[in-house]
Amino acid sequence: MCDHHDKLRSNNRDLQSIEKQWDRREFFKKTSLGIGAMALGSLLQSEKLWSAVNPVAGPIDSLNSFAKNKLGLPHHLPKAKRIVYLFQSGGPSQLDLFDYKPKLKDMFGQDLPDSIRAGQRLTGMSADQTAFPIAASTLNFKQYGESRAWVSDAMPYLSEVVDDLCFIKGMHTDAINHDPAITFFQTGSQQPGRPSIGSWISYGLGSDNDNLPTFISLVSKNGSGQPLYSRLWGNGFLPTEHQGVQFRSGKDPVLYLGDPENYDGNDRRQMLDYLKKLNGMAYDAFGDPEINARIAQYEMAYRMQTSVPEVTDTSDEPDYIFDMYGPDSRNPGTYAANCLMARKLLEKDVKFVQLYHQGWDQHGNCPGGVKYQSKNTDQGTAALIKDLKQRGMLEDTLVVWGGEFGRTVYSQGQLTETNYGRDHHPKAFTMFMAGAGVKPGFTYGETDDFGYNIIKDPVHTHDFQATLLHLFGIDHERLTFKHQGRRYRLTDVHGDVVKDILV
Amino acid sequence: MAQKNSTPWVDYVIFGLTVFLVFCLIFESFIDLPSLVAWLGRWHPLILHFPIVLLLMAAVIGLLNQIVPKLLLTIATLSALVTAITGFFLGTESVPKGDLIFWHQWMGAGVAFLAVVWYWLSTNHLQQTYLVKGIQVVLILLVGLTGHYGGMITHGEDFLALPRSKKLEKIPEDPLIYEHIVYRVLDNNCIGCHNPNKKKGELLMTNINELLQGGESGPALVLGDPGNSELIRRLHLPMEDEEHMPPDGKKPLTEDEIQILERWIALGASDTLKLSHLDNSEPLAGMVKKMMDSGTENSWAKLPKVADSTLQNLASDYVTIKRIASNSQALSISVFLPPEYDPKNITDLKRIANNIVELDLSGIPLGEKEMELVALCKNLEWLEVDRTPITDMEFAKIIGLENLRVLKAYETGISDESVAVLKDFKGLKSLYVWETQISDQGLSELREALPSLHLDYGIDPELKTEFIEKDTIVDSIQ
Repeated sequence: MCDHHDKLRSNNRDLQSIEKQWDRREFFKKTSLGIGAMALGSLLQSEKLWSAVNPVAGPIDSLNSFAKNKLGLPHHLPKAKRIVYLFQSGGPSQLDLFDYKPKLKDMFGQDLPDSIRAGQRLTGMSADQTAFPIAASTLNFKQYGESRAWVSDAMPYLSEVVDDLCFIKGMHTDAINHDPAITFFQTGSQQPGRPSIGSWISYGLGSDNDNLPTFISLVSKNGSGQPLYSRLWGNGFLPTEHQGVQFRSGKDPVLYLGDPENYDGNDRRQMLDYLKKLNGMAYDAFGDPEINARIAQYEMAYRMQTSVPEVTDTSDEPDYIFDMYGPDSRNPGTYAANCLMARKLLEKDVKFVQLYHQGWDQHGNCPGGVKYQSKNTDQGTAALIKDLKQRGMLEDTLVVWGGEFGRTVYSQGQLTETNYGRDHHPKAFTMFMAGAGVKPGFTYGETDDFGYNIIKDPVHTHDFQATLLHLFGIDHERLTFKHQGRRYRLTDVHGDVVKDILV
Repeated sequence: MAQKNSTPWVDYVIFGLTVFLVFCLIFESFIDLPSLVAWLGRWHPLILHFPIVLLLMAAVIGLLNQIVPKLLLTIATLSALVTAITGFFLGTESVPKGDLIFWHQWMGAGVAFLAVVWYWLSTNHLQQTYLVKGIQVVLILLVGLTGHYGGMITHGEDFLALPRSKKLEKIPEDPLIYEHIVYRVLDNNCIGCHNPNKKKGELLMTNINELLQGGESGPALVLGDPGNSELIRRLHLPMEDEEHMPPDGKKPLTEDEIQILERWIALGASDTLKLSHLDNSEPLAGMVKKMMDSGTENSWAKLPKVADSTLQNLASDYVTIKRIASNSQALSISVFLPPEYDPKNITDLKRIANNIVELDLSGIPLGEKEMELVALCKNLEWLEVDRTPITDMEFAKIIGLENLRVLKAYETGISDESVAVLKDFKGLKSLYVWETQISDQGLSELREALPSLHLDYGIDPELKTEFIEKDTIVDSIQ
């Protein structure tokens, strides 16, 4: 009983005749030898006759959490039940935020030694430079908390919560430009077309709250820069129900949750039932699984309208909560407001909330740019961590902060006493995690005195993804999906769980 | 002697079934069964009893030099074939086939083929030859083995194992690394041979001094130097090496177990070292905690079985029920507020109360009835009743939930009266009670009673004002 459900059967006459030819080919393939084979072959073809028992997964079934056990998931006891991934798009400068390199001050303006760069490829933006002058950060660094973690003064709020954070200073990735790098981080492949992390988790573990999407993405409106594409939260080849649902970054994150004036909503159910019938007919004719996904989304929207219209409404939050997230949090669609929204969604057991904040691409005016970006994000990030902590949610909620790569130690463009730019640097950068199952107040990995190469405990993008899945109780080597003749996984054929950062 | 076969069609049926079975086995990977045929496989567990009894009976009669009745042999052979074929159908339902099913399938097929050969020999008047005797002996053995493997598939591999006298004790909260962790690893893997009764290689491993004293190959441990310790060296040897421990045929140690021993030796192989002495970044701490976690999984193994269909019935759009890990009987339940709330949503969970380990009732207008249900969940470890209208009266219902580790009760009406209830949760590790009526005095009382408790009463007012001051700092950076 292997792969019946891959076969589409239609009621349309033209398609049926094609299917018959197809069946014949299957018939000969499966019954290659002998009279006994022929006898069994005729049995094989009776599949259609008995197909009533066949498991044709309806849209509701495929989201059902009990059916998920058939995937054998979770593989082990999960530490994390939900995650908020604060993606800092553009490549935040680790050298101006967390990776403190005091020795660089003495080397100001000197050329980066060839032994350090070791012929590494650079982007087209700085490869033609005649010199690679070392630029020490002009920001001040201090150590904070019991864990004595270094944070620059660009992030005063975050410095208060360092004892809850687990810094990974030895991150490295394969890609050197934004789009491939961010696609690599979110889907495990630089080429578009693979499912994103959130889709894999939705596919593997299902929903914890049937009234809300399992995977929601929020893009903040007060960041701008390299574009983001919906494929970053796309489902790739997984069933479409597992796609991330993007909330709008305005006053109404989800449109039409409330009823319009003079409409009581009473016949909506009836209307949807008829629509479902029509869609069912279309599915019978074309056998397109996207139609099932559409039916499922209509049902989801209906449940959101009837049960949780208030989920996107932050107006009942007390003032001190808004103050904690900062003044931006009253302005819907900003990073801080999205952080607050993320907390509300996580509280309602949405499994995967993905925030994106653009603009961390400081090719020029790096110190000012980093400060500006931090001003927009620092308070929100820190408040989210505090807020999750006081609600006891850090116990089973994972927080991830990071970009797609880091930035170079040498200045792109002209270096002055107070100003410099930094180019893309995939060989070493910093991320941090907090909450469920990761060590709090901990720093893992180390870079050399230039912050250019990793000298201790490197963590590759695939290792990070493997660790993330591990925290959710998933063995990254066993969550696979067969597509185009082979089984795919998030980490493809790579990735090791970074056990040293786990509690 | 056997009479001439008067019903040739029986021969044809047996021949046909044999050919079919051979075909099935050869083309296994190409076969894709229609559901109705696959369903026939479900009869396998019923039919299989016939060939076991009939074949054993026939074989014993034959071995006692009696004439085996033709009819008995015919029915036995037919039932063996049918059983093998239905068994094959049933086997196609589990892909990939495990070792157990693999062996069961091929031995079962062997039984059927041997029966057919015997049948064929007997129709050709060769009842009393040594060949037939041989077949009978092999059949008896094979039937026994096939049945045993089949039994292991349905009842579990250790179904027939003798009851183990040694029961694993729970690892205490702050374990001694040697006594509670290292000794357990040694006891599970080594002490079976290196004990005073067997003393293999002149080595005893029942205490640290014996390890230091060592055996034929010198001391097993070098304090602080796992690389030079004989014990560790042997664990790392390739499996096929003569000196690898545990020896051939015994289960090797897991990666984690080896690392636990290594780190323990590296840290000086102390017998007084406790988990709480270890630094957070010490890998040993992580591995010990992992081992303790698997200990809690073991305690869940004793939970009563609960069927998927039961869960399906109780779950709804507003009640999410999940198993904590697949195949675990421990449940994690979240309840969401439906448009029309009825306490029945929660009180219906009574049927599975013993299995509930995590229960999230945040934001539900809870009353007495619901809290009575919570009190029934004796194995509860994680409870969220935050943002609910409960007061001391309702809260008092849940006194005595001794397994509770995490309790969220912020934004509720509980006050100092509930401190007595809270004090009673001896295993409590984290408590969230901000925006409640509990006074500072109540909190300090609680801290005294449960010193290791992580108590969160929210962001204190001083910090709140600080946030607002901070706004100016950020502005100055700009």
